[in-house]
Amino acid sequence: MYQAWNLILATAEPVLISAETGEESGGIDLLLPAPEELIAGIIAFAIIFLVVWKFALPAVKKTLEARQDAIRSELAAAEQAKQEAASLLDDYKSQMAGAKDEAAKIMAEARDAGDAVKADIVTRAETEAAAIKARASEEVAAERARVADELKRQVADLSINVAERVVGSSLDSDQQRVLVDRYIDELGGVQ
Amino acid sequence: MELILASGECDYVNEVICAPGNVNELFEFREPIWTILGFPITRTVFLILAIAVIVSALLFFGLRKKSVIPSKFQALMESLVSFVKDGIAIDIIGPEGVKYVPWLMSVFLFVLIGNMYEVTPGVNFPVTSRMALPAMLAAISWIVFVVAGIKRQGLRYFLGIVWPSSVPVALRPLVGLIEFFSILFIRPLTLAVRLFANMVAGHLMLTLLLVSGWVFISNVGEIGAKAGIGIAWFIMALGIFIFEIVVITLQAYIFTLLSAVYVQTSLYPDH
Repeated sequence: MYQAWNLILATAEPVLISAETGEESGGIDLLLPAPEELIAGIIAFAIIFLVVWKFALPAVKKTLEARQDAIRSELAAAEQAKQEAASLLDDYKSQMAGAKDEAAKIMAEARDAGDAVKADIVTRAETEAAAIKARASEEVAAERARVADELKRQVADLSINVAERVVGSSLDSDQQRVLVDRYIDELGGVQ
Repeated sequence: MELILASGECDYVNEVICAPGNVNELFEFREPIWTILGFPITRTVFLILAIAVIVSALLFFGLRKKSVIPSKFQALMESLVSFVKDGIAIDIIGPEGVKYVPWLMSVFLFVLIGNMYEVTPGVNFPVTSRMALPAMLAAISWIVFVVAGIKRQGLRYFLGIVWPSSVPVALRPLVGLIEFFSILFIRPLTLAVRLFANMVAGHLMLTLLLVSGWVFISNVGEIGAKAGIGIAWFIMALGIFIFEIVVITLQAYIFTLLSAVYVQTSLYPDH
């Protein structure tokens, strides 16, 4: 092919040179493709085309796909992490709310228990005070009764003694006592 | 090499800029460095074949690791691929554009590196300023968009060009003729010539300015104050150098973009 092209150009050259009116080499040569350069150009272009077609573009495609996958999985991981964080936050919030309720409940229970203890103490104190008061009243009443009996007995004895002195010892002591008691009772009834 | 060629001929005493006797000297390197099986490996051929090695190496080392968290170099190569895929193929052609990505990517990288030689120290020669490469790439684009049209519409693709249904019947023969030449001849020609001419112009400007700057400054002993011109040429060359970096990238983009646009018009003639 190279020889054939040379042959074509060789036949064309005299015409071209003569057209340039005697200049030894005219500008027209610049416009004619040199055969060896054309062949080299075709070879170089074919090599570049093959490299681009078979290597470069598939490589870029593969890289871009890998990058897309990486970005997609990173985004998915980020989304998952976000969801996990959100659910953790929810858990935390609900735990916090539970803890607050629990604390309020404990405080209420403590307050109730305190109130109960207070009420119990007051009730017990009142009961005890009432019991002490009652016992004291009973003792006072018993003492009063005892004092009254004692008084009654002493009045009777005194009356008998007085009567014996007045009447002389005509009555035995038991009879005297009955009389005096009756008299005292009557006195009590009159009062 | 150009420096030596041009400076040898420069009449720095009488001229203000070094222009070569024949402009082809700046572009033609036809002497073989080696010959492999009868095929001459000239400097240009070597540089063209080196594009394949450079692009393959860039792609291989940039994309072999396939790391999920990319290095700066990997990110750069990936963004280059997605620039051509999303920014050109899919944006221009549509979802169908995906199957044209290998071709568009190859065109973009091939032209970009071929252009880059222009501003690469030690090389300073864009191989895309040799007509063989723009012509080959334009021919490939032509084949791709014509085949895409035929595959999509059958022979109605050509009928749609010569008898465009979107214009009034009276105008159809004229518009059809214009469209026929425009689509099937002018398109590949302009595609090739645009790239070729831009690279030729850039290379011419840079070499003339840099060589002139160098020659005038280095001969300061002989020409005295006239050497100051050399400094002016150098400063100008610096500006053009930066401008050319933009042109290099832009031309690679435009070539790829227009190739995609041509495919799109073949697939969707009504748009």
